[in-house]
This record gives sequence, structure tokens and C-alpha cells, in this order.
Amino acid sequence: MRLGHLHLDPTMTDFAAEPHPPRVLRRMTRARRFRRQLVPYLYLLPAVACFVIWIYEPLAQAFVLSFQQWNLLPTAPKTWVGLDNYRNIFDLPKFWQALGNTWYYLVGLLPLAVLLPLVIALFTQDLPPRSRNLYRALIFVPMIVPPVVAAAVWRWLLDPSHGILNLGLQGLGTKPIGFLSDPDLALWTITFITGWKLIGFATLILSAANAAIDESLVEAARLDGASNWEIIRDIRLPLLSPTLMLLILMVVLLGAQWSFSYIHVLTEGGPLGSTTNIYYLLWQFGFGSLSVGWSSASAVILFVGFGLLAAALFALKAKVTFHDD
Amino acid sequence: MMTDAATLAPVRPRRRALALSGWDTGVGHALMILVSLVCVFPIYWMIVTSLRPENAIFSTRLWPDAASLDNYAYALRAVPMQRMLVNTFIVSAAVTAVQLLSGILAGYAFARWRFRGSAILFGAVALTWLVPLQVVMIPNYLLVARLGMIDTLGALILPHIASAFAIMLLAQSMRSFPTEVVEAARMDGGNHWQILWQVIAPNLRGTLASLAILIFITTWNEYFWPLLLTRSPENSVVQIGLQMFISSEGTQWGPLMAASTMASLPILLIYLVLQRQVISSFMKSGLR
Repeated sequence: MRLGHLHLDPTMTDFAAEPHPPRVLRRMTRARRFRRQLVPYLYLLPAVACFVIWIYEPLAQAFVLSFQQWNLLPTAPKTWVGLDNYRNIFDLPKFWQALGNTWYYLVGLLPLAVLLPLVIALFTQDLPPRSRNLYRALIFVPMIVPPVVAAAVWRWLLDPSHGILNLGLQGLGTKPIGFLSDPDLALWTITFITGWKLIGFATLILSAANAAIDESLVEAARLDGASNWEIIRDIRLPLLSPTLMLLILMVVLLGAQWSFSYIHVLTEGGPLGSTTNIYYLLWQFGFGSLSVGWSSASAVILFVGFGLLAAALFALKAKVTFHDD
Repeated sequence: MMTDAATLAPVRPRRRALALSGWDTGVGHALMILVSLVCVFPIYWMIVTSLRPENAIFSTRLWPDAASLDNYAYALRAVPMQRMLVNTFIVSAAVTAVQLLSGILAGYAFARWRFRGSAILFGAVALTWLVPLQVVMIPNYLLVARLGMIDTLGALILPHIASAFAIMLLAQSMRSFPTEVVEAARMDGGNHWQILWQVIAPNLRGTLASLAILIFITTWNEYFWPLLLTRSPENSVVQIGLQMFISSEGTQWGPLMAASTMASLPILLIYLVLQRQVISSFMKSGLR
């Protein structure tokens, strides 16, 4: 067993496993050797073909389409317009609004999907295992529920005239609140629903990391007279920081994307564009107003922007993880 | 340095002594009960509403006084729900099968051989998660249209033939597969294909099962592709069906909640039975 990873080192090729490699090699005809070298690629073929056909080639195509004007009708001509699409998008207040909204989604998600789970994970580490497992099972439920179902259920709970949440609030003496129809609230409502789905997942990730912390470190600090808060600040948080970074990375890179279903089912980007984020804008350009060029140009902007953001976050994560050693 | 035995033995009693006074435990319980309620109540409310008779749909009682299945009957009549549920099941099962297959093959290639371009190909696989579906949706839509597959179930399966996560997870578990076993099989004259399917795959049952759960649930919940690629209810999946009960003029809450319950029932049942495996496979996955 201990030799396991040594043997499976990728340098170990086919040939090394043969009893007498050199002689075998010499006897092998060129064609046979070629066939042998081809084998790994055959194993990869289905996966690589899928990625080329459905991701990488389309990515290149989106790039080309971003310099053209076209309305998605097969009979209509594609016109080369150079950088016009980009120029027009940058002149569009709607674009900047969507970009700003994307930012709000991300900022709003962090407390729900990172901070609250962190607090829960730290607070509940010493609960008796049986009740802890029950809680975990319960808070994980939103994660597996289909997003459309989540949207439908929250729409019902938040309904201004009959939703139980609004009825409860009215019982406390407030007016009905248009959680999804008030331009100042709708974005935060959708952010909340997106975060609601993630709380359990994030909590479990952080609890697992927290449980993996070597308890003797904590014991030692306690013997030195460290307070609970000092232990959290000086021991647990630094040791949790790689996991925290990973979560933040996921939320930042994927958060706006997850909210797509909720936006589409609950507000369709409204009221007044207040819930439209950049992903939803792409959808509206492409399949709402059938302007392929605009949609593709914003796709390229989005892809490049998030690519840079990802690179920056990965660099930051590498730094944090390094400090941990 | 302390030995393992020395650190392990006293931890338990000592931890319990430190473990937090009753007050802290009380706060922990209170916090968890509150969060659990926020997480589960919406689902509970969905089921309760779906069971209320039409004249009590706006009732705020926490349980239905007279349970009725009228909403379910209505939902099944108004929209081809059964057909959509079957479609969703077919698509999810097919995607699970092909993604496992392509993942096993590609994982084996990455774990077993070092070949020209292997690092680049592995990087290209890993980087696919950086490309959001929305960025490639138009070219993909055009491709499906060219293939004449708009509004077919096949179009929902094809783009999901492979997933980066399945490949990377399986490559990783195959790398840590004990080589002695593989070598023994090679001595017996097994070729790569036989070793993969007769030795390695059966031994990775656990990983494959948890991967299957994850792929199935993720595909069942998928909304964006079906939204893009299906047109008629008969060729659509249940997530699209739900939307038909929501309209700006007035939502039929009873049938919507009944349809939502039906759409999440298979997932909730899987979770009820395989709770631990579901949680652990989601945690392994990150989020996609």
C-alpha cells in the first residue's frame, strides 16, 4: 500500500511494466508503437470531444460573433461591425447597471454564504454529535432542492397579499412589503434566496475544516491562558483561511451565475432592471432582443473580467495558503 | 513531540471538560434550531400548501386540517407533469451514465499514462468550469439547431457528456489505487481495458456511487439548458413545467406547490435514504 503512489507515478509508462523493456521496444514496429502512443488519446476522446464541441469551440465562436451584427435568424445576413458592439455596450446605462448589480449580488452573498456559516461552524463544534448531525441534515436541504422549486416556494412565502411572511409582518403592524416588486428590495431578496441555498453547504465545508484542526494546538493555547476569542482569532481563523478563501472564490466566481434561475423565475430582471445582473443581461440581449452581437460582446467582456478576477483570487489564495505552513 | 497515543487518549475527557459551559451549548442549539427552521420551513410550507383544499389555500394554520390531493390532480391535468417527470428521469439517468463513462475513461488515461500534452489537456479539462454556460449559449444553441435537435431530449443530454469534476475526481482516486493489484492483473495477462473494467472500476464503487448521486441530482435540478433548448411541454423537463403555473396575472398557488413537491420529491427521497452520501458527494464537488 505504501508503495502505491510511487508506482502510479505518471512517469511509469506502459513499457516500464513489461518484463524486458528494451528488447520489447526494439522489436516493436513503428506502427505498433504509434498505436500504443495513441491509446491514451482514445481514452480521452469522448471527454475532450465534448469539451471542444460544447465549450471551447463555442467560446471562440462567441468571440467572432462579438464583432458581428446578427439577429439569430438563419436567413438574415451577418454584418461585420468591428468594435461597434463593444462601444455600444459601454455606452449603455443598462450595462453599467447590470455590472453594478452583479457586484451587489456578490457582496450580498458573502455574509450569508461565508460569514454566517463561519459563525455557525465555530459555535456548533461542541454540540453533541447526534443533534449536530440532525441540524446538518436539515440545513443541507436547501442545497439539493431544485432552484426553480426554491424560487416558487419563496415567491409563495413572500407574496404581498397572502404570503405567510408578509402576513406575519402585517401582524406586527407593517404594511405589505413587495419583496420582489420594490426596486430597492428585489435584488436583496434574490440574493437572500441564493444565499439560503448555500448556508448548509458552506457550514458543512467549514465545520469539516474546523474539525480537522489539531485539537492539541487549541489545548496548548488554553493552557497558556488564551480566551475563547483569542483561540478563534489566533488559531482557528488562520487555519481555516484556506477553506474560507476557497468558499469566497466559489461565491465570487459563481454567485451571480447561481442567481440566474431566481431572476428568471421571480423578476425577469425587473422591476426597472434592478435585479438584472450581467448573466441575465446576456440572456436578454441574446434571446430577448435577439441581438447576437451584443450578447456575444458582453459574453466576452464577462469571460475576460471573471478570468482576471479568478486569476487574482487564485494568487491571493496561494498566498494565504502559504502563510498557513 | 508527543506520540499519537499520548495525544489521542486525553483529548476526549479534556475536551469535554472545556467543552463549553451549558450556556454556550444552549446558544449553539438555539442558533442551529433557528437556522434549521429557516432552511426547512419553506419546504415544509410547500408540502402543507400543496395538501390544502382550494378554499383553504390561504390558511395560515401550520398544518392542513383536511388534507386533499386536489392540487395534485389539477397539476397533473393542467400540464403534462407525468410526461415531464419521466423526461427528467430519462435525461438525468442518461447524463449520469455517460458522464460516469467518459469520466472513467478520461480519469484512467490521466492516472495511468504520461503522454504528450497530458498536462495541457488536464488543464483544459480543469478550466472548463471557468466558462459559464451563458457565455457559450448562443453558439451552443446554433449547434443544436443545426443538428435539428431543438426541442428534443437528446439536446439536453449531449452537452453533458463529460464533466470536469467527474474526470478530476476519478483521475485522483485512480492515482491512489493500489498498484500491486494492477500489477498482479497485468501479470495475469490483462490488458488496460480489462484491468480498468474488471479490477479498477469495481473497486471504485463507492466513489462512482457518490459521483452518480451528485450528477443525477445536479441534472435533475438543471434549468438553464432546458430553458434554452426545449419548446413544447411534452419534450420538456419538470423544472420548465413548474414555470407554467407562475404568471404575472395571478399564480395558482395550490397547483404550483403540488407541482413543486412532485418536482422535488425524487430528490428529497434520495436524500432521505442516502443522506450521508449525498452530503459528502456535494461537499467533495465544490458547487458545480
